[in-house]
Amino acid sequence: MKNHENASPVLEVQGLKQYFRVSRTYTVKAVEDVSFKIYPGETYGLVGESGSGKSTIGRSVIRLYEPTDGKITFAGKDISGKISKADNKTLRTQMQMIFQDPMASLNPRKKVEDILGEGLDIHHMYANRAERKAKIQAILAKVGLAPEHAARYPHQFSGGQRQRVGIARAMIMNPKLIIADECISALDVSIQAQVVNLMKDIQEETGSAYLFIAHDLSMVKYISDRIGVLHLGHLLETGTTEEIFSNPIHPYTRSLLSAIPSPNPIVEKTRISENYDYRTSGLDYTKGTDHLISGSHYVKCTDEELERFLKH
Amino acid sequence: MSEFLVNIEHERLSFFTPVGEVKALNDVSFHIKEGEVLGIVGESGSGKSVTAYSLMGLTAYPGKLLGGTLDFNGHRINDMTEKEMQKMRGNEVSIIFQDPMTSLNPVYTIGNQIREVLKLHTNKTKKEIQERAVELLELVGINEPKKRLKQYPHELSGGMRQRVMIAIALACEPKLLIADEPTTALDVTIQAQILELMMELKDKLGMAIMMITHDLGVVASMCDHIAVMYAGNIVEYGTTDDIFYRPKHEYTKGLIRSIPRMDTTEHERLIPIEGTPVDLLNPPKGCPFASRCDNCMRICLREKAPVIHFDDVHYSTCWMNQKAELEGGTKQ
Repeated sequence: MKNHENASPVLEVQGLKQYFRVSRTYTVKAVEDVSFKIYPGETYGLVGESGSGKSTIGRSVIRLYEPTDGKITFAGKDISGKISKADNKTLRTQMQMIFQDPMASLNPRKKVEDILGEGLDIHHMYANRAERKAKIQAILAKVGLAPEHAARYPHQFSGGQRQRVGIARAMIMNPKLIIADECISALDVSIQAQVVNLMKDIQEETGSAYLFIAHDLSMVKYISDRIGVLHLGHLLETGTTEEIFSNPIHPYTRSLLSAIPSPNPIVEKTRISENYDYRTSGLDYTKGTDHLISGSHYVKCTDEELERFLKH
Repeated sequence: MSEFLVNIEHERLSFFTPVGEVKALNDVSFHIKEGEVLGIVGESGSGKSVTAYSLMGLTAYPGKLLGGTLDFNGHRINDMTEKEMQKMRGNEVSIIFQDPMTSLNPVYTIGNQIREVLKLHTNKTKKEIQERAVELLELVGINEPKKRLKQYPHELSGGMRQRVMIAIALACEPKLLIADEPTTALDVTIQAQILELMMELKDKLGMAIMMITHDLGVVASMCDHIAVMYAGNIVEYGTTDDIFYRPKHEYTKGLIRSIPRMDTTEHERLIPIEGTPVDLLNPPKGCPFASRCDNCMRICLREKAPVIHFDDVHYSTCWMNQKAELEGGTKQ
């Protein structure tokens, strides 16, 4: 556990709402009143099923969408709504994104050195060619690729290596916050472990904060300091990784945890996955308020609902 | 006639691409009994899907079967014509693919696609076919089947689509169901539902299942036997307990170490398998896993390890199993 008592959060999201108007009568409410903070050097894991709004939050934070309502503060500055060109420019260097599919997110017609150097070129972050090259070589070494890989194209790499290039592209700007959107979901299990370890190592070295978006709770456990569970756009339960895993309160969190297949046949034969369906559960997310369970463990529900949860 | 439903022996298969011969399968042998669930585990490019596709005759150009025999349910796949193959596919053996959205036709209704299988493989009347389609959707746990039959794939959720795929696969009550990463594209909660459904249907219909996956958690509860594949070879084969509790190949051990465990409480580091998968264009001379193996010995780089049997079912190809003998040999 990291101590953040004196530090100010690198990212603060307050009451974020993100609606998409589909037609005159129908609006998709993708994100409903979500608030969380990320401190420097910390990893915040955002989990939930597909369609729960986790990617939307990531995109709102990096200003790909304009929030319907709410405030996003990054490094002490309000970045929701209109901001100046200069602010936008610094924001683009200090916040970076790693995407799910490394093949689709790397330009197939550019060499790795140009993919990595693009951000440096745009923001004039080097004095001469030699410095640019040195920066690229340094970042390649950091993500575990060889210097000769700089001259190759994305298709010449394996999936795990490509994701390393994706990480290098984000890291080269020395960002304060990295949004990793399902960045390991497309990789094999043994390679996932490599990438997760690499991201942890880099974090220790540089102190960047991560917003780690995933649907796979078992991997999130290994990388996150704190976790937020998202369902239908509502942040239902937040807490440290240990609080969530050892004492899940909300039935949705419990169903998520119980659904993970265990790689141990004896345990697996006795595992019972809890079913959860919002429509039949009788819960109303819109009426819920945050209830403190212990430490930093919050559950969003009404008073009566909490009583029901705790009886289990 | 053999006692096995599927019997593959010494299968070798290559893809002849413009850049060279990709040796996808090197001497793969295994068998499946009726009603058995076999899990095939391995990373992408290890040949697990190709093994399944070759059984259905789906590895056409530029793939070429170079050797070995494939027997399924009394057919010798090697000698079958395309016409005979078409009769067999969807009837005696069916397949479920990873992504249900791309394997369902977006411009036809669900009902259309289920009825198609029945029209091709049975002599049922139109009315009987319609009844069977409704029955199938009920079987896979879809509510309001009559309404669903008129809907298009995009109107259903991912889990529902996969259920429809299973319904199509089961239409003719096949002897063997091949499931190629059936849950990789789905959420954990939906994954649990689909796996439960598959096991339920297996007990009900008595078919054999070939479960292809890279997630060891998925195979732990389902499978009777597991084959671990690496670079076109089966490197270890055994019962589920053998593989999880008594792994003998270094790759299997690494694979088990690298999965995140839910029973640990503290922040631990994962233990990945370092390195990158082998290039099947120029496979190494010795053990294919040697370059990523922590306990690699000199002999691993030189020669392929022989198959070592530990009991009737459990076998593995790893020099580590003969380490004691080898060391004893060099001392003399």
